[in-house]
Amino acid sequence: MDNGFPGLLKPFLKYAGTQPINPEASLNDLGLDSMRAIELLFAIEDTYGVSMPDELLTDATFATAGSLWATIEALRGPR
Amino acid sequence: MTAGVPDDAGYGAALADVLDVTARHAAHADETASFPVEALDAMRRTGLLGLAVPAAYGGGGGGLAEIVDATLRLARVDMSVGLIFAMHCQQVVAVVRHADDDLAGRLLPVLGKGDRYLASVTTERGKGGHLLSSESAVERAAGTLRIDRDAPIVTGGGHADAFLITTLAPDADSPSQVSLVFAWRDQLTVETRGGWQPLGMRATESVPMRLVGRVPADQVIGSPGQFREIVSTTFGPFAHIGWAAAWLGAATGALSRVLGHIRGDGRAGFDPSSELLLTRVARIRARLDLVNALLWHTVGAVSGAAPVTEPSIQLLVNSLKVHASEQCFAAVDELMELVGLRHGYLRGSPLWVERVFRDLRSASLNYGNDRLLLVNGALALRDRQVRLA
Repeated sequence: MDNGFPGLLKPFLKYAGTQPINPEASLNDLGLDSMRAIELLFAIEDTYGVSMPDELLTDATFATAGSLWATIEALRGPR
Repeated sequence: MTAGVPDDAGYGAALADVLDVTARHAAHADETASFPVEALDAMRRTGLLGLAVPAAYGGGGGGLAEIVDATLRLARVDMSVGLIFAMHCQQVVAVVRHADDDLAGRLLPVLGKGDRYLASVTTERGKGGHLLSSESAVERAAGTLRIDRDAPIVTGGGHADAFLITTLAPDADSPSQVSLVFAWRDQLTVETRGGWQPLGMRATESVPMRLVGRVPADQVIGSPGQFREIVSTTFGPFAHIGWAAAWLGAATGALSRVLGHIRGDGRAGFDPSSELLLTRVARIRARLDLVNALLWHTVGAVSGAAPVTEPSIQLLVNSLKVHASEQCFAAVDELMELVGLRHGYLRGSPLWVERVFRDLRSASLNYGNDRLLLVNGALALRDRQVRLA
């Protein structure tokens, strides 16, 4: 995960508190719900300049900070 | 008969018996806002409460379609009884699908006898009906979980033999790590903490309760802290589909009684060549046909091969709830307009349109439509191609 990613996630995770966000952290446990997930999606697309196809907007993609980051990385391609 | 509607050979006789008892006591239960104990006794005596338990455990082996069919028929006579039955089945199915083998092996042979009634304890004061978070801690000690649960609404809690209770997981570090705990009544001290004096669905006797006690730690249904999985695959779909069946059943029963009146004793007061009467009846009937079509389509989608967590299916299940709650109420509202003050609005009318009208007013509030529409809006944005389930 790049340095800015936990900071981008935090406003959407109402139970994150002051703990650092690990790649294994369950986003649902940290308070991500379906309404916040769509807001988070928009923030990710704006910040990283990617467009997430509908097929990737699954529970598995949004399961953990790491799974979501891996999806972003895959969409950004080699750089 | 509609495709997908089950043959009731297995439970038809039991259901007929329960319907007979329900009909005799419905007015009294509504009048006194008390639980339909006679109907519940009939459901116990006939084993109907075991409908959703697999036959291997002695139950009726019914699936979602059978639960919906029975709920539709019960709610024609008493919507509260339909709701009570559907919600009980939702609890049973949670045990069937999500309890581990040990726990299932202990619980299901008992539930399969069909004489135990399960109540759901998911509401909390701070969060209302929101299922995916909890503020109710449990304490884990010596292989037990200590529960001290304050619940503002427990449908039929005063009459339940066991409860499925949401609490925080023992080691939760976030309010969204919720567990579902099974507790027999005799494992708890159960205290009713207030009365029940609602507008409609009065016979559900959904009272506030406090439940305190210790249960073995292995009575958690599903993985600790992972109630979310049960909600998304079982609790959510069974709640919305079961409620929709109860609402449709109630509205269908009301229309049927009114048509019986127009064709029978009320013949003198209604002119069958009246265009107003005919178009009103047609509209009411069309609303019910739409809900019925959506209901059975949703049963099919949820019972199909695709995971229930697919956004298209989640959207459909939520839309069923919203649509059924609005259309069934609208149908009975129009029915009231059709039959007028004396046969519709007055409490003493043998058509009891008024009772169904009151009962159905709760439908949009029972897990609020506004809340569900927000969820569906967010889900819809995730599917630009609009793939309909």
